[in-house]
Amino acid sequence: MQPYYFSFRSIYPYLGDLAAAAEVTLLLSLLAIVLSVAIGSGIALMRRSNSRLLRFFAGLYVEVMRNTPLLVILYIVYFALPQLGLRLSSFNAALIGLTLNSAGYMAEIIRAGLVAVPSGQFEAAFSQGFTRVQLYRHIILPQVFRTIYAPLGNQFIAVILASSLASAVAVEEVASWMQTVGSSSFRFFETFIIAAVVYLVLCQIVNLGRIAIGRWLFRQPEAYR
Amino acid sequence: MTDTVLQFDNVVKRFGDRTILDGVSTSVQSGEIVCFIGPSGTGKSTLLRCVNGLETIEGGAIRFEGTPVQAKQRSIIDVRRRIGMIFQHFNLYPHLTALENVMLAPVIVHGENRKTVEERARGLFEKVRLSHRINAYPAQMSGGEQQRVAIARALATNPHILLFDEPTSALDPETVGEVLAVMRDLAVEGRTMLVVTHEIRFAADVGTRMVFLDGGKIVEEGNPREMLAAPRSERARRFLSTISNAAH
Ligand SMILES: Nc1ncnc2c1ncn2[C@@H]1O[C@H](COP(=O)(O)OP(=O)(O)OP(=O)(O)O)[C@@H](O)[C@H]1O
Ligand SMILES: [Mg+2]
Repeated sequence: MQPYYFSFRSIYPYLGDLAAAAEVTLLLSLLAIVLSVAIGSGIALMRRSNSRLLRFFAGLYVEVMRNTPLLVILYIVYFALPQLGLRLSSFNAALIGLTLNSAGYMAEIIRAGLVAVPSGQFEAAFSQGFTRVQLYRHIILPQVFRTIYAPLGNQFIAVILASSLASAVAVEEVASWMQTVGSSSFRFFETFIIAAVVYLVLCQIVNLGRIAIGRWLFRQPEAYR
Repeated sequence: MTDTVLQFDNVVKRFGDRTILDGVSTSVQSGEIVCFIGPSGTGKSTLLRCVNGLETIEGGAIRFEGTPVQAKQRSIIDVRRRIGMIFQHFNLYPHLTALENVMLAPVIVHGENRKTVEERARGLFEKVRLSHRINAYPAQMSGGEQQRVAIARALATNPHILLFDEPTSALDPETVGEVLAVMRDLAVEGRTMLVVTHEIRFAADVGTRMVFLDGGKIVEEGNPREMLAAPRSERARRFLSTISNAAH
């Protein structure tokens, strides 16, 4: 081993690019989180549908997304779809790939939350004349999101970390900043450590934001951390 | 003149190849308080759940205020809007306060004005003697309190009949009385009620009719006091002696 002298100073010129890259990572992740929660909710509800066909396709979707590497999905969206004439920008391709992938995991988390709602809740609501849509909107989903709020947070963080793969389809986010600056400054340690810290901070910001929103949404705070 | 609120015609209910209700026929008139008694597993809960279409029936017919109850049809919503149900395990909505529990269906299902509903809900909390617990969550309340909120919730939509499925079976002995007291008040108001219960005293005091169900069939029905004093059938006699032994 040889001694290594850290010089964070040599990274200074690249910090402006880093701020822009962090913004892209955050935007990409937040959009993917919101969209995949919405799509995941739909898939989870489909898995409990009365229709066999819907249940089958929802199950298939989840298994495909959970058993294929995100990188392959990103490549398909970014490199293969243009051959069918569907050309997407780097950002949009990454957003779609990340969302599709994350929705598979979200669906499983939400499904676990749905299973945990006692059948008595459905009966009470049906006995009062709620329609299925009213029932899910006012009684079931609020309870589901309370029970799954913590595991959902893990998946939020997984999305942020997975967004680093967007560098493979030319999105200029934090991981791509790290690769570019690392190889042009030869300051690998410094750039990699800075990138790691940026991811850590972004994850913490999103997590604290989630907790704050949860408290505001659910009022009884102690149960939802 | 009395109106027929509920009519059972030869109702048959099966789960798989097990016949749970085997040709039940009876009716409930407006203002009646009909108490269903019978051994565990004879289908008392099932019969109640068929009334508002929580279960489908395989044979016969149920009519509520003249309309056939069809569990799979859209018309069931309209039937349910006029029926209140109280469950053994309360089934309050845990994410809502007591007041919100009572207000939800009138606002969402009936599309009523929030202010009007809140006023009525406060009145209902007075009726069930829980005005001081209006902002509590179900998890913060005792069983007896939760069941009284559940009664207020059922009353909030001005139902034409109340269905009780063993409303006191999950309660501590000390809190059974507070729920029965509320139910007695409802009886005095002249509410139409269908009550599955093991509270024989309550059935005798408050019930206008008692129906003894066994093996999916009505074995005997009549005036509660007469039936308790002198059951006509051997099966009713045996059942009543076991539960009155258990009560003492
Ligand atoms: N969803 C279901 N699927 C299959 N069997 C069922 C179902 N619900 C009830 N049963 C069966 O139907 C029979 C009648 O049940 P029910 O709950 O109506 O009895 P009950 O008279 O209310 O009894 P208890 O006094 O114990 O409440 C029981 O044998 C029960 O196991
Ligand atoms: Mg029962």
